[in-house]
Amino acid sequence: MPVVDVDPDELRELTGHDEKSDDELKDDLFNLGLEFEGETDEGELQLEFAPDRLDRLSVEGVARSLRYQYGDDTGVYVPDTNDPDWTYEVEDTVPEGRPYVTGAIVRDVNMTEDVLESLIQLQEKLHATMGRKRAKAAIGIHDLTMLKGSGLGDDDSGHSITYRGIDPDGDRFVPLDADSEMTPAEVLTDHPIGDKFGDLLDGFDRYPAIYDDLGLFSFPPVINGRRTEVEAESRDLLIELTGTDQWTIDHICNIICYALSARGGTIEEVEIDYPTATGPYEDVGGELVRPDFGIDTKHVAHDRIETILGVDFEQREVVDLFARAGLSASVVDDADDVDAVADVGDVDDGADATDGVVYAVEIPPYRVDVLHPIDLIDDLGRAYGFNELEPRYPDIGTVGGRHDRTRLEDATRASLVGLGFEDLLNFHMISAEANYDRLNIEPGATIDDTDRRLVGAGEAVEITGPYSEDYTQLRTWVLPSLLMVLENNTHRAYPQDLAEIGLAAEVDESENTNVAERRSISAVLARNDATYEDAKARLAALCDDFGVNLETPPTDHPTFIDGRVADVVIDGQTVGVIGEVHPAVLVEHDLELPVAAFEFRLDALQ
Amino acid sequence: MRLPDSQLAVLEAASATEATAVDRLADTTDLKPESVTRAAFDLRDDGLVTITERTETTADLTDEAHDYLADGLPEIRLYRAAIDAGADDEAVELGQLIGAAGLEGPEVDIALANFARKGYGQIDSGSVTADLDADPDSDPEADALATLADGGSVDDADLLDQLERRDLLVQHEHTVREITLTDDAVDALMAGIETAETIDRLTPEMLTSGEWEDVEFSKYNVEADAPEIEGGRKHILRQTADRAKDVLVGMGFQEMDGPHADADFWINDCLFMPQDHPARTHWDRFALDVPPIQDLPDQLVDRVESAHREGVGDDGDGYHSPWDRDFAEAVALRGHTTSLSMRYLSGFAGADIEPPQRYFSVEKVYRNDTLDPTHLLEFFQIEGWVLAEDLSVRDLMGTFEEFYAQFGITDIKFKPHYNPYTEPSFELFGTHPTTGEIVEIGNSGLFRPEVLEPLGIEADVMAWGLALERLLMLMYGFEDIRDVHGTLCDLELLRETEVLQ
Repeated sequence: MPVVDVDPDELRELTGHDEKSDDELKDDLFNLGLEFEGETDEGELQLEFAPDRLDRLSVEGVARSLRYQYGDDTGVYVPDTNDPDWTYEVEDTVPEGRPYVTGAIVRDVNMTEDVLESLIQLQEKLHATMGRKRAKAAIGIHDLTMLKGSGLGDDDSGHSITYRGIDPDGDRFVPLDADSEMTPAEVLTDHPIGDKFGDLLDGFDRYPAIYDDLGLFSFPPVINGRRTEVEAESRDLLIELTGTDQWTIDHICNIICYALSARGGTIEEVEIDYPTATGPYEDVGGELVRPDFGIDTKHVAHDRIETILGVDFEQREVVDLFARAGLSASVVDDADDVDAVADVGDVDDGADATDGVVYAVEIPPYRVDVLHPIDLIDDLGRAYGFNELEPRYPDIGTVGGRHDRTRLEDATRASLVGLGFEDLLNFHMISAEANYDRLNIEPGATIDDTDRRLVGAGEAVEITGPYSEDYTQLRTWVLPSLLMVLENNTHRAYPQDLAEIGLAAEVDESENTNVAERRSISAVLARNDATYEDAKARLAALCDDFGVNLETPPTDHPTFIDGRVADVVIDGQTVGVIGEVHPAVLVEHDLELPVAAFEFRLDALQ
Repeated sequence: MRLPDSQLAVLEAASATEATAVDRLADTTDLKPESVTRAAFDLRDDGLVTITERTETTADLTDEAHDYLADGLPEIRLYRAAIDAGADDEAVELGQLIGAAGLEGPEVDIALANFARKGYGQIDSGSVTADLDADPDSDPEADALATLADGGSVDDADLLDQLERRDLLVQHEHTVREITLTDDAVDALMAGIETAETIDRLTPEMLTSGEWEDVEFSKYNVEADAPEIEGGRKHILRQTADRAKDVLVGMGFQEMDGPHADADFWINDCLFMPQDHPARTHWDRFALDVPPIQDLPDQLVDRVESAHREGVGDDGDGYHSPWDRDFAEAVALRGHTTSLSMRYLSGFAGADIEPPQRYFSVEKVYRNDTLDPTHLLEFFQIEGWVLAEDLSVRDLMGTFEEFYAQFGITDIKFKPHYNPYTEPSFELFGTHPTTGEIVEIGNSGLFRPEVLEPLGIEADVMAWGLALERLLMLMYGFEDIRDVHGTLCDLELLRETEVLQ
């Protein structure tokens, strides 16, 4: 979950609550769902929170939420915006994999080192979360005074920058943290940042690039040029975002604009001029004005609030709680016609006044987490305080019970334990070496002169691109796990009589999932005098417990000693194998005493 | 008269005129002292011997005493050094004598204190004068130590106490029993006593022949340790799982079952997890190298896709993320057992889904976490859900309080949280029953409309999940889960862990 560093002094300043101690702030933040994790060396609070409220990824957003919580602010706030002067021209050369752009101009920001630091952190956190590590959205923020855009109008008003696609070695610029000019392709190979984000351009013929009159100044999603680098002295900023989804980059842009607005900045709109209104631009239109501070409205039924929270509310309370959550709610006059919105002041809080009441709730443009009215009810619950709610045990009658499969497994386990086996629990993932090689079998191997597959030699379900060489596939039988436990416990007292009932799986295209999963019973007797007879005695006792008929005709299996191995045939079906483990397998597992073992399918006991 | 071997031997070795100590009888009879004692008590009960008891004190020399036996008592060494240095004439500086006497560390103080006490001379302002009349060769303390070291005894109680105060010996008291024959015993011996046969094991033949009536069973040392054996037992994590299952069945929950390898559709898409969610990337899931699932229910897939793209309801919004059916059909190991909940809620698992319903499972899930003492790649998840009309957050809180109370975890705190598939969502925190620590014990919430509407569920569903291993660690205080679960497990730990009651 994201962790954001927040300077408590800045928080006091931005909330206007100088009187709050650090501890009080921590309590208030916990109530917002921001958990105090520790402090940085500089005394900043490290706050962890769930990745829904991305508008709180900086001190400005956290302060805004606190002001709502304190009741200093209520309802939806939208900053004023000035009309556009700059245009972002988009050429039809932009790479297909990164077609969208958005942005804003912010002037007169009260920039300081602290503000700059906070802005950089916000940018990083947005990249990491909503930006999906820049794959979905990449942010560039530039010092506007370093940009030169051609005047489009006669009076030199109207400036532009251009987003286009270029040949990877098609131009040169000086990237951040570099002293010499590089081509975009060189950035990917020679610059540390290029190394980190180069993957995002895999398969791109043309690389994204943004130009002003002086040339290339931004190479999204990798790095900005050094010329337009924002510094503590910068006042006027140009924000550009590119990405794979217009909504996503627009909302990230909103979050940044709100943060800079809190730092005294004035937001100025920009025009986005796409080359066409077709193809990828069909849904968004050919010409846009951004940032889009449009207010979304969703409708919430009063009854639903009450059933979800289990508390009765008056209308006024609901409206008030929404306002404290930074939302603006009003009662819809005629709930059947959600376009008609009544002034909340006229509402009568009578006993039945809430029947059928519906609220129209306005959602500010920096919220990215509200997908459904249920999210607004959650906001209301947080504003009310979930821990204020009294738990109650629901009065619902249902009948409990176990699944047949686990009941059989439990009964079998009880029998095995009664026969003296220690019940074990091992991983279902294993390596091919442990599953096959060390048991002296080969995948797909059959019993000599037949087409019957050896127990354990089924085709393994392999993990795609495994991360550890110890866990590359699902086990095809359980015996390898038990032998590994014996191997790891040679220093412990003998006898070691172990059993496990667990999952084994193999590829089977007749199954719905293409994987045949079964529960397999495996048991080992490791003791100085372990013999086939010991294993068979216990297997026979187990079969007796379940009233099934056991036969053990001789068979071949390279895991076991030739002539001391048999098929486990239960009620006429061959379901497993029993025998004395081959010395080669014992030595492979560093065992210095004989082991007798059996393994068969659990469902044979049904 | 018939007596067992040992009793007869004791009787024959003892005397009617002289009390004989048990140890001596043991030597004579070649029996162990405890066997002699046992026989003597049996004989006393039959009126054949009397037993007298007295307390005897023995003294054991300490290591320090053994050192002095070799080197001489420090005060005597000081005296001899003083005489050699002419301190009988005039006072000699102590400093000169310490080295000559071979005194080290605390021996200096010991030497000085006892030198003066025994009148070997005077010490005044660091100068030593020796009394020529003193006789270190017949020092009573040195003599007593030598006597004790040779196995002799010293009767002077004051002298022994003095040596004990000097930490040179430790005195022990123990009971000495002495046996004397009674007149009856003498008579019986004169009349002749037969040995009664004592036998080791009762045999079937003895029982059928009636021979058991004439035999005497040899007595075992019933207090001796028996060889250790290990009975079979259910794995401790299974016991914990069974306990959780019992609680849930008791609360009216039905158990679910289903595949470990499943389509991402059931694992994630049904749960309204966007396909570009970080948890769905290559690094977090275990994708399997098998063909995709072809027979997903088409209508449900369409409704789920629509929920992802457009949201549900008049005011609903979808995710601004790509959605691809191929990804939904790909097979992976389930990252949570919520895939089972989805199969059941959809009706695909064949269950009746009319409200009210309660379902649970305690089953394995797979996550590509970094292995450490509290994280495994495979672990058990306790999963539960309740389907009913108009469920509230309060019902959810009440259900979980009841569940955790069964494990002694009370004072549950609900921290508002975010999950893609539930809203409202809560992390559950509880107080550790023994350490008092506040620990996270689960994650819960009401399933979102985007989850339920595509499944055709019109009532509310509350759900929660919890790692079984966490419950186990809370209950037992295990520090490394790898000792318990997996092939690195320690059989000793599994054998020693107390069973769950």
